[in-house]
Order: sequence, then C-alpha cells, then structure tokens
Amino acid sequence: MRWLAYILTAAGQGFTRNPAMSIASTLTVTLMLTLFAFFLTTDRGLQAAVTVLEGKVEVALFLDDNAKVSDVLALKGRIERDPAVARVDYVTKDQALQRLKDIAASRPDFAFTDISTNPLPASLEIKMADAREAKRLAQDLRNEIGKGIVYDVVDNPQVVDQLLTITRVLSVGGIAVLAMMLFVALFVIVNTIRIAVHARRDEIEIMKLVGASDWFVRWPFILEGMLVGTLGAIISLAVLFAAAGPVTSVMLDFLDILPVSFGPNFVAQLVGSVFGVALLVGAGGASLSVRTHLAK
Amino acid sequence: MITLDDVSKRYPNGTFALRDVDLHIEAGDFVFLVGSSGAGKSTLIRLLIREELASTGRVAVDGEDVGRMSRGRVPKLRRKVGVVFQDFKLLPAKTVAENVAFALIVTGHSGGVVREETERVLSLVGLAQRRDHFPNQLSGGEQQRTAIARALVNRPRILIADEPTGNLDPVTSWEIIKLLTRVNELGTTMVMATHNAEIVNALRRRVVHLDHGRVVRDEREGAYAA
Repeated sequence: MRWLAYILTAAGQGFTRNPAMSIASTLTVTLMLTLFAFFLTTDRGLQAAVTVLEGKVEVALFLDDNAKVSDVLALKGRIERDPAVARVDYVTKDQALQRLKDIAASRPDFAFTDISTNPLPASLEIKMADAREAKRLAQDLRNEIGKGIVYDVVDNPQVVDQLLTITRVLSVGGIAVLAMMLFVALFVIVNTIRIAVHARRDEIEIMKLVGASDWFVRWPFILEGMLVGTLGAIISLAVLFAAAGPVTSVMLDFLDILPVSFGPNFVAQLVGSVFGVALLVGAGGASLSVRTHLAK
Repeated sequence: MITLDDVSKRYPNGTFALRDVDLHIEAGDFVFLVGSSGAGKSTLIRLLIREELASTGRVAVDGEDVGRMSRGRVPKLRRKVGVVFQDFKLLPAKTVAENVAFALIVTGHSGGVVREETERVLSLVGLAQRRDHFPNQLSGGEQQRTAIARALVNRPRILIADEPTGNLDPVTSWEIIKLLTRVNELGTTMVMATHNAEIVNALRRRVVHLDHGRVVRDEREGAYAA
C-alpha cells in the first residue's frame, strides 16, 4: 500500500505546494458549478411551472344556441381526433348556469338574482395534451365562427407561450454561458496541473526511468484535479443551500402562488450532477495537462 | 540479451546519430562504449530504454523488439534495464533510503518488499550506514552509489551506465568501477559509456568504439584507443 500512500501524498502536495493557483482554480470551478446549479434549478422550476400551466390550458368553444346537436357532436369528434387534444367536454347551457350559481354561492360579494331565461351558451371545453398547439387549434376553430355552430373561441395560452419562450432563452443562454465557464474552468485546471507537473518534473523523469507505468505517473495529478473539483462542488453547494431559503421566499413573493414543485429527488439529483460535473472537469483538465507532458 | 540489427537513428534535422549499427551483447557481458562526444553513445543508450526510437533497423532487449512494443510495455522494459547517469539524478528532498525505495514504490511494490529490497541493495553498494542522509550531505561517490542502488533495486537484467565516473575524482571513480564489476559478476549485463581511458585499459573488457554514429571497432578484450 506504499504506492497508494505515495499517490495520495503526491496529490495533496501538488495542491498545497502552490496555494495561490490551487485557490484560483478552485474558485473558478466553484463559480462554474454555481452557475450550473443555478441554471439547472431555474430550468427545472420553469419546466415545472410550464407543466402546471399546461394542465390548465383550455380552448373553449362557445356554441350558437341554434346549433344542431348532430353538428356539435360532429365538431366534437373532429376536435377529439386532433393529436394535440387530450379531451373534449360538452357543457350544456344548464350545466353552465349551474356552475355560475355554484360560484355565486361561494362568493358573498356576488349577488345572483334568479332569472327566467338562461343567457349562458353551451360550450365545448378542450383540454390540450400539448399546450403549444393551443394557439393553432384556436385559430383553426375560429374559421368555424359564423357558420351556425360556433359563435366564439376563447383561448388563453399567452402565459404558457411566454413561459416557454423564457425557458427556451434560458436554456440556450444557459448552455452558452456554461460552455464558456466550462472552457475557462478547464483552462485554469490545465494550467494549475501543468505547474504541479513542472514542480515534479525530476520526480516524473525518474519514475519513468525506473519503470513506473504511465497511470502511476498520472494518478497524483488526476486526483489533484478531482480534489479541486470536489472542493469547488462543496463550496458551490454550500452557497446554493445557504441562498436557497431567501431566494425561494423572494421568488414566492414575486411570482405569488405559482405552484412550483421540483419533485422529490431534485436535491439528490442536483448534488449528484454538481459533483459529477466537478469530478469530470477536474479529472478531465488534469488528464489533458498530463497527457501533453507524458506524450513525449 | 541486447541485439541491434542494422540500426540507424536520423534526427529530423538530417544528422545521423547512429548509422548501420550491428551489435550483439550476450547476457552477463561487460561492454564499454567508447568514442568522442557526439559519437552516438548516448543515443544508443536511449534506444535501449526506448527513450527514442530507431529510424531504421531493429533493437531487441531480452528478446523483445523495443521499437515495436506498445506504450504499456515500456515500463516493464525499463524495470529490466537499470540506468545510471553522470549527474546521478537523485531527488534532493529524499534520503538515500527514500531515493532507492522510490523506484520500488512507484513500480507498485508492497511495503515489506520495499523495506527488504532497499536494505539489501544499500548493503550491496555499501551505504547502509548513510541511509538517512540527504544527497547534499553525501560525497559524489556516495551519490553515484545511491543512484546505482536505485538502478539495481528492481533487480534489472541489464545495467546501463552513461559516463558514471564523469563527475568523480580518480579514486572515487575506481570505487564505482569496482562496484559495477561486482554487480556484473553477480550476473547483471553491464553496458558502460565512458571517456575514462585508464579504466577501460585496466579492465580489458569488451570495447565497442563508436565514431560518427558507426561502430568502427569491436574487440573482446579491448583498450580505450586502437
């Protein structure tokens, strides 16, 4: 086990021998990982919000009082065949009135006087399977207005549309920023390890001369890179969890009651991916650095 | 043990370091490589431990084609071939014993083997008393003996010495040569590049004379000059 002790000691020495460079690379990795975690969280939050809102999206089709039931059912059948549609419910005039009465009963500020005729139209309520198609469907159905069956089409996909746009922009922007940060972090790690390699070049020369394997030469540096990554991951997660509470309350104030749920495994997934990225970047940067040195 | 078949080494700038070299060294031989600086002695040594590859021809060490072996095999070749240099190449922050043990540790040996073999080889080179000294507390001869101990600790079949007495006074040089002949008598094949005419002439061993990359003389019991 002497060799294992050697590898671990050498990795630790590499890290402590040049503290300024080690700290610089650790902080760069920390920054990259914090951004990574931030984008991951935001993206997941927005996706959750989109899912919630998507479930609520409906296109409502108000029917002409004189529409024939057979025509209405034919139209209902046609809409149901659209793959973007989850379900179509037929709401009669009576049902619509009953709903209004129910709402009125639960709201004291809403005075409801019995009326002899029912002014509410019957409607087809369309639940979307794919909310992004709501606009197209509503547009299609508007062509039916004035043909004796449909007299109005109401859709409300605006919020979802906006949210989807934000998600898309954030994803693309996030990936671009992350790619840049990844590059910077790799660059800094490669240089940190290069300095460590340089500091131990005599030792490496002798190691190769006496027949140490390439992997034996590499391991201390790869471990040093992974150490930088791990420290970066720990710091960024600590920052993230410390900030999580205040940020959440601000977001709740700001977004009011947006029912965002990240799912039960989100924290585990976040911690896992931050550590995964950290170790990959650390080990990858170190391998790149040592590879150029060992190649000769 | 060592075979060079029509070996040439040409550097990218066009100069030949070795030209059409044929050389065969039996197991247990003691061979001096002589010749002026730049004659190709060091290049030949670098080919044997695959620090460089021959441009043409075949280099075989212990039956293995050095030029064709995979990267992964190279460390195993180097464990069979110990090397000692003029400038010792000791690690200044490690003691004598640590410098020697280093060769075992980095080749993956366990603690027990490291301790045993280090002690064995330190007594062989006569440095058991100096085991805890650092290189800068040693004489040149002691430093070279430490380097020899490190080269021997993996029990190589071949020991190559590149100007091992180049930095040493005559008396110390003789001590080192006595040590190397002893190692050779214990069965290790010895290849030694040197400029030291006195030693070559006194030992009357095989002499391979290189000049401008060619073998110009190869004598069984040779002298430094023809």
